[in-house]
Amino acid sequence: MGNANSLLTESETRHLMRRAGFGATPKELAKLMKKGLTRGQLVDALLKYKPKTLKAHRDMDEVYDRWLELMLKTKTPLLEKLTLFWHDHFATANSTVGDAEQMARQNTLLRQMGKGNFREFLRRINKDPAMMDFLDTVRNRKRTPNENYARELLELFTVGVEDETGAPNYEQDDIVQLARAFTGWRLDDKGLATFREGSHDYNEEYPERGPKIIFKTRGGFGPGGIDLATPGEGPFEIDYAIEAILAHRDSQGQSTVGRRITRRLFEFFASADPSTALVDELLASSGFASTWDLANLVKTILVHDAFYATAVPPPYTAGTKRSVKWPVDYVVSTLRLLGVKPKKRKYAGLAVEDSDSLRAHLDDMGQRLFDPPSVFGWDWEGAWISSATLLARFRFARDLAAARVKGKQGFHPEKLMPMGVQSADDVLNGASNLLGLADQLTPEDRALYLDYLTDGGSSPTLDLENEDVRARKLHGLFALLMQSPAYQLH
Amino acid sequence: MAISRRSFLKGSGLAAASTLVAPALLRHPFIGQAFADTIGDRYFLSIFLDGGNDGFNTVIPVDNGGATMRAAYDAARSTGTDGLNIAPSALAATLIGVDPGSGCQLAFHPALAPLKTLYDAGKVAVVQGCGYSRPTLSHEASRMAWETGTPPGLNSGTGWMGRYLAANYGGSDIPGVCIRGEVAGELRQNATSVLAARRMRSLRFPYDGDFGDDVARKRAAFLGLYESASTAALPIAEYLGTSGVATLLATESYAGLHDLYTSGRPGPNQAYEDLNLNLARNLREAAKVIYGITQGVPNVHARVMQCATGGYDTHSDQGAANADGRHYELLNELAASLSLFYADCNDMGVADKLVVMVWSEFGRRVEQNDGGTDHGTQYPVFILGGGVTGGVYGRHPNINESALSDDGNTVYSQAAADPFRSTDMRDVYGTILKHWLGMPHQQILDDVLTLDGGDPAERWTQENFDMGFLV
Repeated sequence: MGNANSLLTESETRHLMRRAGFGATPKELAKLMKKGLTRGQLVDALLKYKPKTLKAHRDMDEVYDRWLELMLKTKTPLLEKLTLFWHDHFATANSTVGDAEQMARQNTLLRQMGKGNFREFLRRINKDPAMMDFLDTVRNRKRTPNENYARELLELFTVGVEDETGAPNYEQDDIVQLARAFTGWRLDDKGLATFREGSHDYNEEYPERGPKIIFKTRGGFGPGGIDLATPGEGPFEIDYAIEAILAHRDSQGQSTVGRRITRRLFEFFASADPSTALVDELLASSGFASTWDLANLVKTILVHDAFYATAVPPPYTAGTKRSVKWPVDYVVSTLRLLGVKPKKRKYAGLAVEDSDSLRAHLDDMGQRLFDPPSVFGWDWEGAWISSATLLARFRFARDLAAARVKGKQGFHPEKLMPMGVQSADDVLNGASNLLGLADQLTPEDRALYLDYLTDGGSSPTLDLENEDVRARKLHGLFALLMQSPAYQLH
Repeated sequence: MAISRRSFLKGSGLAAASTLVAPALLRHPFIGQAFADTIGDRYFLSIFLDGGNDGFNTVIPVDNGGATMRAAYDAARSTGTDGLNIAPSALAATLIGVDPGSGCQLAFHPALAPLKTLYDAGKVAVVQGCGYSRPTLSHEASRMAWETGTPPGLNSGTGWMGRYLAANYGGSDIPGVCIRGEVAGELRQNATSVLAARRMRSLRFPYDGDFGDDVARKRAAFLGLYESASTAALPIAEYLGTSGVATLLATESYAGLHDLYTSGRPGPNQAYEDLNLNLARNLREAAKVIYGITQGVPNVHARVMQCATGGYDTHSDQGAANADGRHYELLNELAASLSLFYADCNDMGVADKLVVMVWSEFGRRVEQNDGGTDHGTQYPVFILGGGVTGGVYGRHPNINESALSDDGNTVYSQAAADPFRSTDMRDVYGTILKHWLGMPHQQILDDVLTLDGGDPAERWTQENFDMGFLV
C-alpha cells in the first residue's frame, strides 16, 4: 500500500506523467527519477501552476488552434488536462453559441477555476456568458421559465440524476422552481452577465407558482426543502441555489455532489467504475465535501494506489484497469513524445483533405474541442472506439510515421534514438520506450514486433544508417506501435 | 433485460458503443454466414432526420373530417409573409389517405410528391402521432429516447436495434453498418460488430504507400496484436481488440464495394451524382453494401443500416409550400433521395426485401412562431419498402388549441377510446422486429422493449406489435 510519501517507481512516474499530463520523454523521465520524488512531491509540483488565459479571438478555428498550441507546448500539463476535464463536464458547444470570443473566455474560466474552489467555480459557471447562451439562461423568461440550465445544473454539473444506489436525486418540480431563480439574467453591452430586476420571477407576481422551494422530497432537507429566496429574492437566488445543491445529501446521507465529482475525476484520471467504497475513501480523505477544494481532491486521487493500478503492466487480467485515450490526448501526447514540431502550426505530412490542421484528424477521431456533441459532453471509454474512429487514429499514426521530410519538420527518429547497426530487440526497446510503451508490451506482442522488424527472423539486425531500412522498418515500427491496442489505452 | 453483457461500457452512463468479434471465428466464413442468415435475406435501413421534423407540415389535414382538424391547423398556421399555412389547393396533387381518428383527408407536403408515387403503389406507410410518454423537448434527450427505445431518464445505453442485434448475432459477424462517422445510437450494443463509415471507400487500411512490399508483414503484426488484445480478460482491451480485428477485415471487404458498385451499376451511380443531395449520397453508400451482398462479396453481411440527414431544426425561415423554403428543400431532399434509392433497390431485385424507417427526435409545435416552429412532441414516422403494406396508420394528434398542453404541444395519450390516441414509438419498433425481422413477440418484450408502468391512459403499458404496416 502506498501513499503520498511513497517513492515513485519509474513505471509509476511514467504513468503519472501520462495521466496528469501528456507523457514524459525518456529524458524528462530520467530527470524526474534522478530527483527521487515521492508521489506527493511530484503531484504538488504538477499542481503548482499559475493558470494562463486562452487568448480570445473572433475565429473559432483560431481559438481552437491556440488551445492545441498551449497543450503542445505547455510546461504545466495538468492545467491542460484539468481544463479538458472541465470542458467535458461543463460541456458548451460553439455550434450553438456561435461566439468564439465567449468560448475562449469560458475556457479561461475553466483554467482559472479548474483546481480552485468548486463552490466558487459553480457560481461563476452560473454567470458564464457562453454557458448562459448555450443553456438558454439569456432566454429564460419569467412568463415561461426556461428549464434548460436548471435541468443540466442538477443532472450534469452537480448532483446527477441518481445517487450511488440508483435513487433519484431530484424531481421535476425542483427543476421548475430552480429555473425561476435563474430568470432575469441577461448579457450586457460588454457581453457580461447582468441581473435585470424587471425580468426576474418574483413570488408576488406569480403566487400560483408558490414559493421557490426545492428539494422537498430529496436532498435530506426534510419536507420544508430549501427556499431559494432565503437570502432575499433577486440576484442572490442563484448563488444560494449553489449552497442548496452543495448541501444536498443522497439517500445514504452522503454528500451527493462530493461523491459525484470525486467519481468523475477518478474516472477521468484513472479508470471507469470505481467502487462506492473507493469514492467514499477518496472523498473523506480529501475533505472535498466540506472544503470544496479541487486541488486537494485531485492530489488525493493522484497519490492513491487505485490510481497506480492503471499502470500495472500486461498481461491484462479481469482486475486490470485501463482507460481509452481521448483523441486529443492521443494526438497531443504523440507529437510531444516524438518531438514533432510544426511550422506556423502546420505539421508536415499531417495534412488531411481540405485541411492542414490537427483539427481535421481530431474530427475524424470523434472529438472537436469547443464542440462537444451535446451538453452531455463526450462519451468516454468504449464510445471512442468505432471502425471509423479507429481508422482515423491509424491514419494519423501512419501519416506521422511517414512524415520523412528534410529539415526541422516531420518525424526524425534518428534524433531520438541511436542509429547504426542495431539488434531488432534494441530497436524495439528504443522505439517503445519513446512512446512510453516500454513496460506495456507482452512477450507475445514483442514477438510480433520482432517478427515484423526481422522479416520473420531473416534479418536479425537492422542497419538504421541505411535510409531504406530506416524508412521501411523503423518508421514502419513506429506506425505499428502507435496503431497498437496498447497505445490506445492508458 | 439481458442486454448489458460487458459492464465496462456502463460506467456512469458515459459509454456505450458498437461491436465485436471473436477473431478466430472470423476466419471461418461459414460461421459468419450462419449468423448472417438470422435476418434472412432482408434489409432494414433507419434514416434519422436530425433536428425535429415538423410533422404538421409533413402530413397535413386538408379538411375537418368529423372534427375540426383543418380549422385548428388554420388557426395555428398563418398565411401571408412568414406564414406556414399550406392551402388545400396546394395539396391536391399529394393527397394520401384519411386520418383513422378524425376522418379528415390528409396530404403530403407538396415537396414529398415523389413519395406520393410510392404511396400510391402501396409502398409507404404513414404512421401518425408517434411519440412516447412524458416527452422531453431537448434534442439530445429526445433523440436518445428514440434511439434507445426508452423514455428519458431510463436510458439503457444500448439502442433498440442494437439489442435486437445483440440477441441474434454472435461476435463473429458484422450485421450492421452506419453511413456516418460514429455508430448510431439505435445500433449501439457490445455483443457484435457495427461498422461506421461515411463512405465505403474510406474503409481502407492506412498502410505506408511507399512500401507496398512491407504491407503483408505489417498486416500480420497488426492482426496479431489486435487478436491478442481481443482475448484479454480486461473487457476494454477485449473490446478494442475485437474492434481492431473487425476494422481491418472490413477494410479488406468493404472498401472494394465502391469500385464494385460504380463499375457494376454506372447508371444508378450517375443518377445519385446528378441528384447532388446529401441524403442521396449517403443512400448510395447503403446501395453499395446491398449490391455487394447481392454479388456475394465475402464477409459483407451488414443488412441493418443507418444514416442521418440534418437541418430539420426549423425555428425560423421554415417556409410553407414555396420551393425555396427550408422545409420544402428538406422534404424534397428526403423524397427525391428515397425515391431514387427505392428505384435502385428495385432494379437490384431487393425492393421487396427492404424496409426503411424515417424518424426524427421529435416533431414541432403546431402553433408557429414568427417564421418557423419550436420543438414539439408527436409526429408521423414513415415506413417504406417493398415489404410494407402502405396506407395511413395511427391517429393525427389533437391540434385544437384547447387540447394542447401548457407548453402548447399535443398531448401523448394511450387511452383506447381517444380518437386522437398517440402511437408509441415502441409499437412501431415492435412491429418491425416482429413482422420484418422475425423476433418472437415475447422475446421483444424480454430483450428489447420494456413496458412502462403507471396509468394505462398516459403510459405505454400495453404493446401492439401488430400495427399492420408489416404483415
